[in-house]
Amino acid sequence: MSSPLVNRRQFLGGSLAVAGALAFTGCAPTGPASATTVQFWHLLSGGDGITMEGLIDGINAEHSDFFIRPTVLAWGTPYYTKLSMAGAGGRAPELAMMHAARVPGYVPGGLLDPWDLDMLAERGVSSETFTEPVWESSVVDNQLYSVALDAHPFIALYNRDICEAAGALDDEGHLQRPDNPDDFLEMCRQIAAVTGGRALSYGFLGDGNQMWRLFYTLYCQHGVEMRFPQGGTAEFDREAFVSSLEFMHQIADGEVAARQGTIDYAIAEFAGQQTGIHFTGVWELPTMQEAGVPVDATMIPPVFGQEAVYADSHSFVLPHQSEPDEEARGHAYTFVAELLKNSLAWAGAGHIPAYRPVLEDPEYAELLPQAHYAEAADHLVYDPTAWFTGSGSNFIQDFGQIVGGTIVSGSGYEAAADAFQEHVDAILARANPANPEEG
Amino acid sequence: MTDVAAERSAIAPRDDVVPEASSTGSTASAARRRNQLIAWAFLAPFMAAFVLFVIWPLTHGVYLSMTDQSLTGAGGRFIGLQNYSEALSDPVVWSSIRNTVWFTVISTVPLIVFALVMALLVNTGLPGQWLWRLAFFMPFLLASTVISQIWMWIFNPELGAANEILQRFGIEPIAWLQTEHIDIISITIATVWWTVGFNFLLYLAALQNIPDLQYEAAAVDGAGRWRQLFSITLPQLGPVTVVVVILQMLASLKLFDQAYQMMDGGSSDTSRPIVQYIFEAGFTGYRFGYASAISYIFFALIVIVGIFQMVILSRRRENR
Repeated sequence: MSSPLVNRRQFLGGSLAVAGALAFTGCAPTGPASATTVQFWHLLSGGDGITMEGLIDGINAEHSDFFIRPTVLAWGTPYYTKLSMAGAGGRAPELAMMHAARVPGYVPGGLLDPWDLDMLAERGVSSETFTEPVWESSVVDNQLYSVALDAHPFIALYNRDICEAAGALDDEGHLQRPDNPDDFLEMCRQIAAVTGGRALSYGFLGDGNQMWRLFYTLYCQHGVEMRFPQGGTAEFDREAFVSSLEFMHQIADGEVAARQGTIDYAIAEFAGQQTGIHFTGVWELPTMQEAGVPVDATMIPPVFGQEAVYADSHSFVLPHQSEPDEEARGHAYTFVAELLKNSLAWAGAGHIPAYRPVLEDPEYAELLPQAHYAEAADHLVYDPTAWFTGSGSNFIQDFGQIVGGTIVSGSGYEAAADAFQEHVDAILARANPANPEEG
Repeated sequence: MTDVAAERSAIAPRDDVVPEASSTGSTASAARRRNQLIAWAFLAPFMAAFVLFVIWPLTHGVYLSMTDQSLTGAGGRFIGLQNYSEALSDPVVWSSIRNTVWFTVISTVPLIVFALVMALLVNTGLPGQWLWRLAFFMPFLLASTVISQIWMWIFNPELGAANEILQRFGIEPIAWLQTEHIDIISITIATVWWTVGFNFLLYLAALQNIPDLQYEAAAVDGAGRWRQLFSITLPQLGPVTVVVVILQMLASLKLFDQAYQMMDGGSSDTSRPIVQYIFEAGFTGYRFGYASAISYIFFALIVIVGIFQMVILSRRRENR
């Protein structure tokens, strides 16, 4: 037998060397020796992650006294598990990112430390520099627990060419915004006539987050609220609940939008220019621009009368540390303030900047189509305040399970409302697991 | 190792002489004690790991299940059997146990039948043996994340291959993973495709262990192919079938990865396995105490299955 090019021992040795080298290159970069390292956990990946990395690199390059070391964790429920376990251990990172709607669940257990308003004000950040809905979403028990970087609302992207051909644009070239369901559906039928297929892309099947985003937009357009008082019963308007679901079923009829569209399918459909409108989060905007769709954007039309835009915010929080390093904390404040001031670049990814000076910056007004939905900042609605709500929560998944069948089948609206009431009441009767003593 | 062997051979003869020479009794018992000490010293590393990672979590879990301990570090008050009574009246606990058992039933049967049929076909001496073996076994080598992704695309209601095929036959498209009751079947189809190769290999090995002589003798006696299958092949596959059933049942009861990944957070009351509910209660719902209680209820279920299997196995032995 001829001797092989590499014998087993060499192969194993070589593999080990490669693995070792990979392990070392996998280590996070470190800053200059004199710089204080500030650990920052976030959940931004894909395009958002690249933008954030660029912003962090820019700030790191400008400062020799501190170095921001980001740790990127996968979006979704497990992120919060990791963050709360780190907080419970008292050795959390100096800074982390959370969805604003998740914050109220984490405050009572002492997992987060409040922001010092004076220290923020010194760095040019205060209540004045945020719109009201954003600031309100950051305050829990009269203390500021999160500082919003953005608001990422659920909006309507539209294909200018298709909508124009369908006569669905107004005089200024923006998508018409019908104020009742019938007109909206009529507009969709005109668009469908142009595409020869469907008018609208909306992916929801098996995805509680997607169902909740549109549902809560429509629900709040009725001008009603939803309240979840701890220990009490869920307070919501049944009529609005049912009519929102009815409207969602009317959309997902197979003609206006796919009857069984998943989120991936909806993205592919709109990116492939097979529909005129896409109900989605602003974060899909860069994907569509890259796909070459002549895309514009607007708030979801107020079909139930009032403007309302479901949103959540990527917010900075200070995870609880048993022995905080005051110096590193100070640097975290500086970093956050500078990131907010540089958030015009962040807006490029579709998000609405939370920092008012950027929002009012003429440069932002020129950023299209972002500026076309900037008005949403005044109509944002966040999840009902409760310890169990917010993006990626079990509650949102349960909601999807409760209403999913109804949206597809168009039956059982009242039963869905009953099931929702019963489900939320059961959660409200339980203590916040982050703070079981308080009840 | 050699030291121990030497120690043993040095001590053993002394042990033998103990009854005759009582004067050496104290040295003998000292030696025995020394011997035991050495044995314990060798066992210690394993015992330490066993106690730390099996015994301690097991017992600590019992305690946790009687507290309101939260993942966030809060809570921890002793609340007696409150978690158990809540779990027993929680409809999701029951639906997820039902799903797990149902999945075990509908996955174990095809996983045995298909594996057996595949092994029999390959064993008939088809040309390209290696190709068949490789093709049938390859999916088993994939990570659960990969098979989940593959099947999520196949089952996509608008874009997927599954509905494409149905439509060719004029059948209405199905939301495979988003329709209650169908979702668990879809997960089963993916699981069978993924893991049938392992059972196939076990069966094939067992088939190849049956001596050709027996078939030749049967042929001489005038037995046809089918007669040989039922009178020689299948009876001799009995032991391996027992192994396959036991392994399969235990694997199916642990269902989590592919169900969690394929449902992508959208689990329904007909697809959520009990392990996932434990995960949801503990790791995303933060109720560690409650999750512990559910896991002990599930543990009890597995113990019942285990006893059941032991009874069947011992009966088999008696019958021999």
